[in-house]
Amino acid sequence: MGASGSGKSTLLGLLAGLDDPTSGTVALNGTVISNLAEDRLAQLRGRTIGFVFQSYQLIPTLTALENVLLPYELNDDSGGQKAGLERARELLVSVGLSARMDHYPVQLSGGEQQRVALARAFILRPPIVLADEPTGNLDTVNGEHILELLLHLNHVEGTTLVLVTHDPALAAHARRVITLRDGLVVSDVVKAAAPPVSAPSVGL
Amino acid sequence: MARLSYGTAARIATRELHSSRGKFTFVIMSVAIGVAALTGVRGFSSAFRTTLLLRARSIMAADVAARTNTPATPDQQAGLKELTAAGNEESPVTEMLSMASSTTSLDPLLVSLKAVDPAKYPFYGTVVLEPAIPLKQALTDTTVAVGDDLLLRLHLHVGDSIKLGTERFRIAAVVEDEPDRLSGSFAAGPRVLLTQRALAATGLMAPGSRVTRRYLFKLPPAKPGQALSDAAVAALKTKLETLLPEAQITDYREANPALTKALDGATGLLSLMSLVALVLGAVGVAMAMRAHLQQRLDSIAIMKSLGAGSTQVMKIYLMQTLLLGLGGGVLGVVLGIGVQMAFPLFLAKLLHLTPSLRLDVHAIGLGLGAGLLTTLLFTLPPLLDIRNVRPILILRRNVEASDDPFTTRMLRKLKGSIAQIVASVFILAGLVLLATRVSDSRQVGEWFAGGLVVVLMVLLAMSAVMLWLLRVFLRGTRLHLPSSLRHGLANLYRPGNPSAALLAALGLGVMQIAAVYMVQRSIVNEMHVTTMENVPNIFLIDMSTDEVMGVKVLLSQQASVKGTPEIVPVVSSRLIAIKSVAMDKLKLQHMGRAGQSLNLTWAPTADAPPPGDKVVEGKWWTAQMAADSASHPLVAIERGRANRMKVKPGDTITLSAQDDRMVATVAAVYEADSRHTFSRAEFILPEPALAGLPVVWYGGVHCDPGATAMLRRVLYEHFPTVTVIDVAATLEVIRQVLLQVTYVIQFLAAFSIFAGIVILASAIAGTRYRRIREVVVLKTLGATRPRIATIFSIEFAVLGLIAGAVGLVFANLLARELLLRVLHFDYQFQPWMNLGTWIAVAMLTVVAGWMASHRVLGQKPLEVLREE
Ligand SMILES: Nc1ncnc2c1ncn2[C@@H]1O[C@H](COP(=O)(O)OP(=O)(O)O)[C@@H](O)[C@H]1O
Ligand SMILES: [Mg+2]
Repeated sequence: MGASGSGKSTLLGLLAGLDDPTSGTVALNGTVISNLAEDRLAQLRGRTIGFVFQSYQLIPTLTALENVLLPYELNDDSGGQKAGLERARELLVSVGLSARMDHYPVQLSGGEQQRVALARAFILRPPIVLADEPTGNLDTVNGEHILELLLHLNHVEGTTLVLVTHDPALAAHARRVITLRDGLVVSDVVKAAAPPVSAPSVGL
Repeated sequence: MARLSYGTAARIATRELHSSRGKFTFVIMSVAIGVAALTGVRGFSSAFRTTLLLRARSIMAADVAARTNTPATPDQQAGLKELTAAGNEESPVTEMLSMASSTTSLDPLLVSLKAVDPAKYPFYGTVVLEPAIPLKQALTDTTVAVGDDLLLRLHLHVGDSIKLGTERFRIAAVVEDEPDRLSGSFAAGPRVLLTQRALAATGLMAPGSRVTRRYLFKLPPAKPGQALSDAAVAALKTKLETLLPEAQITDYREANPALTKALDGATGLLSLMSLVALVLGAVGVAMAMRAHLQQRLDSIAIMKSLGAGSTQVMKIYLMQTLLLGLGGGVLGVVLGIGVQMAFPLFLAKLLHLTPSLRLDVHAIGLGLGAGLLTTLLFTLPPLLDIRNVRPILILRRNVEASDDPFTTRMLRKLKGSIAQIVASVFILAGLVLLATRVSDSRQVGEWFAGGLVVVLMVLLAMSAVMLWLLRVFLRGTRLHLPSSLRHGLANLYRPGNPSAALLAALGLGVMQIAAVYMVQRSIVNEMHVTTMENVPNIFLIDMSTDEVMGVKVLLSQQASVKGTPEIVPVVSSRLIAIKSVAMDKLKLQHMGRAGQSLNLTWAPTADAPPPGDKVVEGKWWTAQMAADSASHPLVAIERGRANRMKVKPGDTITLSAQDDRMVATVAAVYEADSRHTFSRAEFILPEPALAGLPVVWYGGVHCDPGATAMLRRVLYEHFPTVTVIDVAATLEVIRQVLLQVTYVIQFLAAFSIFAGIVILASAIAGTRYRRIREVVVLKTLGATRPRIATIFSIEFAVLGLIAGAVGLVFANLLARELLLRVLHFDYQFQPWMNLGTWIAVAMLTVVAGWMASHRVLGQKPLEVLREE
């Protein structure tokens, strides 16, 4: 958690190796990633981290199904297209988009786009999912629905979820809450109790 | 909502220009290159044309000439006076055959007299004399200049005297070259050049003597430093045609068919290139502005949410467009002037001529106007889109329900874009207007303008169909295709994106560039054939039948003679009637040289036209018809002559030769090239039809231009009665001009093709801004750079292949129509050239895409977390 401009997105980016830190190192599951070559890093990131953004970030030229399938295609070299396709469809069904698989992003509402983005984040069963204010662009009803889905998927897939949020109630469910101010960590609270809604999660 | 002043709008516009300079450099460069090509090509070509036409005029020594065999009536003389009073200069040339004799030996000799007014003649070109003195000095009322064959035959020298009629004249000089030798009459006998007054004094022009008069005209200069307008020449021609109905009127563009064709071809091509530059520049602007406005959607939405109305926002972007158009236009004019100045420097060595360079205010104004207007016109549709930008966009990406049936969606789209459609109509109207202003050749301009509308529509439709097909194909197969291929292809089809427009623009560009290349190539090829082939430059007049064999043998022994000489039989005859109407009845109508004698000939082969002649109407006779022609005479007539006589195949003409009369049916109308001796024949009959009539032979042969004097001497020695006319010098002038035309059009075509490629490349480059977001998302999702590169390469390559295919189809159609219909050159489909161009287009598209996008690839993926 933290005020706007406090460095939440910057921290997420560093965690995923989207940017290099000016000083210090970043380690992902024990591997130091801050000195990896760009393409190596991309491959590692693709397999390890799923992303959900505030503004969805779907590829406009691909259909919903193709967007979900994309991480699979970019990172899976086993060539098992079929398995990926099946999983993509399953995920889209589970986020309630079974009827909109062949639609392009512009043909979808914001909530629907974000649901596609959710499915995309989970397709490779990444150990970590990073979500940067995933409900920021949505109205309350849609936002709540997205959160529900996110937490549900997180629970089902058993991933570590790093969620940026402004909602203290939501943060209360997290196992660990990190608060930022002016680019600095001002508090880092680890709770012992398992949260009632989801699997191990971190709320920033 | 306060009203936005233009000043504030301009300030906001400039601020935005400042903040993204890199992007606008593209827009400005597109306009600049288009305008530069336009002003450069136009300015240079008009200067070059002026220079070239000056040379073409020297072949006739005048702008317009009227040639007649009948002396002018008092009325006609008054009419001629009126023409000179109107500012035209006039000078008569009188040609006739006569006897001359040496004052010492009194040997008589048939000579061809040519009387001129040395104060005016020639209006263009120079008479080369030996000793090298001006004509005015050589020709007085008691002196003449003669051909060196006269000196040889009469054993005289410069300074000796000859007798013509009742007068004696001192030979002041030897005539080496006359500019209008090719357009004068090819009469037997050495040349004697004298003044009009001297000819009158000889008393040779008795009534009944056969005299050919040519009235040479020089038009008053249009405006200082400006080329003569074709309209002024045509106007004088029409006046002369009514004044002298008997005369054959020619203007300088008709002086030599090959030259005329070359000039027409070059003019047509040059105006085509100007138009291409114009349209390509416009395309560049349209693509760049479209990409730019798309980028700006968010700031537009913000402005709107802050209370700005559509009109106000449009005002801002209108100001921006005007600034860009003006900037590009000014830069383009400066570049264009640079180009104009650079061309002659590049070409000075090849051309041996420096086109007089003038900074043509008109051309500059046109370039600037074209730049501004095309920028505005082509920015209009994306500008109008601003009205559809809703402020909600800053909060949420556009949400579009799309479960409606296709037709309702289309209808809604149509309704929503009425303004765009109106704008498109304005664009086309504006382009048509510009095209007609820009092209020097009105015909090409009109043709182009009309064609452009159709082509643009068809291109857009074809692009849309191609994309639709691609979509259908993707639908059916997309999940079975390798993913990068699928992704690359999918990038071409995106709902509501400008792929169809980009595709149409690229196709249009490819079409125009390839058409310029094809037309240029065809013209250059034909001109090379014309310039390289052994065009006869020595003519032999009045050979008797028993001399022909000897002449042939002698010519074949000469090393300087190239190819086989063409020897043509000539039978003299008179035209008695056309379609059974006697000539004296026709006399009052405008029939050309009515009732005069004609030269008939026969072809070397019984059933085919002679070399260099092409049947354009009717059919050539068969061997059987030729054999029967003694009883059923047939005739083939040269096109110009047939037009003047108003006859078509199937009509009859009545001829008399010696005391025989024959009624010959016109079998065919043919067109002659200027490369064969037969080109000078206007009436061809089957040989049996002319059997038994007295024949003289004319010959034409190509000799090394440097060795013609030698050849002439050898011929005089062996065949003293045969007249030899040497036109090598004139033909060399023509050859030089043709070569210059080919160099220049190749050079200019290369320039405009290059400019076109640059503009198209920048249009493709304009798509890079939408790629940035895509690259960062892909990177975040784990894509490596090679993978992204593959996806984009496939997209570019397919874009290039589709645009190339569509463009080439139209290029071939355009080039074919232009060459065959308008310019009368050959068109041939070049499979390899087309294939090569196709591949080149695809490769260039990929390269251009990459040149612009490689930096995008290096984008830090962190951008993905930054909200736009
Ligand atoms: N630790 C840090 N050191 C330096 N700059 C930082 C740091 N954290 C954040 N910033 C800067 O602060 C700005 C806002 O950060 P951002 O991550 O976008 O904030 P948030 O997502 O919390 O709104 C960015 O320009 C970023 O570079
Ligand atoms: Mg943020």
